[in-house]
Amino acid sequence: MAAVGERQISYDARGLAEPVADAPRTAVVEDGVATFDARELTTRTINLELRRLLYEEGVGEVVVQNPQGRHSLGVGILRRCRIRFEGSLGYFACGLIDGPEIHITGRVGWSACENMMSGVVVVDGNGGSLTGAAMRGGDLLVKGRVGARTGIDQKGGTIIIGGSVGSMTGFMMQRGRMIICGDAGPGLGDSMYDGTIYVAGTVKSLGIDCVPGEWTDADTELIERKFRIYGLGSPPEFQKFVCGKVLYNYDSLEPSEKKLVI
Amino acid sequence: MSSHDLAYTEPEKIKSLDAEFLSGHRFPYQEDLSLVEDVDLMASTPGEDINWLEDVALLEEDGVPAVFDRYSNAFLKIYFPIPEGREDEIARKVLVTHLQSGNSYGILLKELHCKFPQPELGPWVEGSRTVGTDYSPPVLEGWEKPAGH
Repeated sequence: MAAVGERQISYDARGLAEPVADAPRTAVVEDGVATFDARELTTRTINLELRRLLYEEGVGEVVVQNPQGRHSLGVGILRRCRIRFEGSLGYFACGLIDGPEIHITGRVGWSACENMMSGVVVVDGNGGSLTGAAMRGGDLLVKGRVGARTGIDQKGGTIIIGGSVGSMTGFMMQRGRMIICGDAGPGLGDSMYDGTIYVAGTVKSLGIDCVPGEWTDADTELIERKFRIYGLGSPPEFQKFVCGKVLYNYDSLEPSEKKLVI
Repeated sequence: MSSHDLAYTEPEKIKSLDAEFLSGHRFPYQEDLSLVEDVDLMASTPGEDINWLEDVALLEEDGVPAVFDRYSNAFLKIYFPIPEGREDEIARKVLVTHLQSGNSYGILLKELHCKFPQPELGPWVEGSRTVGTDYSPPVLEGWEKPAGH
């Protein structure tokens, strides 16, 4: 009989969780770079192999070949390192990360980089809805287009979108910056508390309490710096949008509630 | 009455928990600018700029300049005079020093409570030791599992 608190989960009715698995140890390490083929591996074993290499072997750079759009890859990586996914990822890619610099050569599904704390993620293709949801810090660059509610509940960091964004982008945004090089769908910045949204294209409609902001030298410096770092060429002309603070009632919040949005 | 005194006499009235309260003492870099002057913010963060530190600014807690440590949900107060025009830079340097030294309360809790292997000092210190490799759930002494569970 298991002792208190030692229950071992060994069955998952959905057949998805694969609770018992070991790292496959198939990676080849050469000149400090580990490479492994994910084609025959499961989501769990891919992530276990990544963590084994990064945490146990101390490898600083990993290349994952043929991820084949699997969901939830590269999540919870909490150290400075470089990871390159050669292909596309499914939903919840690279969430909850703190420190890694990740390059995804394909596309990503819903909620890529949700709750990202720090680091850099570059996606060469398009992203799904909820890209950068609840992001806390770091840079997320999607070179293609993204879906609805991009940057929902964003609490920090910079989201850069090379193309257009869907409806309700920046919904309930609390801090951070969003740079949209294409068009924005309806409801941009709806109910945002703080933060800044830059749009180069047209905006279908602004959401509640999202208003045009006054351009400053700091805005120019930010845009030019990010374009330079990520090799995006000469920045186009952007419009700036901020919170109108009509719905702003932070002062009546308890201090503990304020901390949730810092 | 300070918030520390209040914590013991009337804990229900506590509105703030700063880093030194959580740790039980103040740290030298809260009081001495020279201890944080040499911190390289660029080297301390991923990418080619200061990354997540861009969102860190000098704030105020209990009327004292402070920087917010998101890893322990607490303010870290700064007691030395801050040169004008360098407020955010100093706040960032104090915070990075706090995190790299392992004094953040959130980091102190890792060894005891993290369930998965991870570097103790996160992304702030290269080669930090791994903790969480042998997690076992805490067992409350004298507690027995209810019948039927």
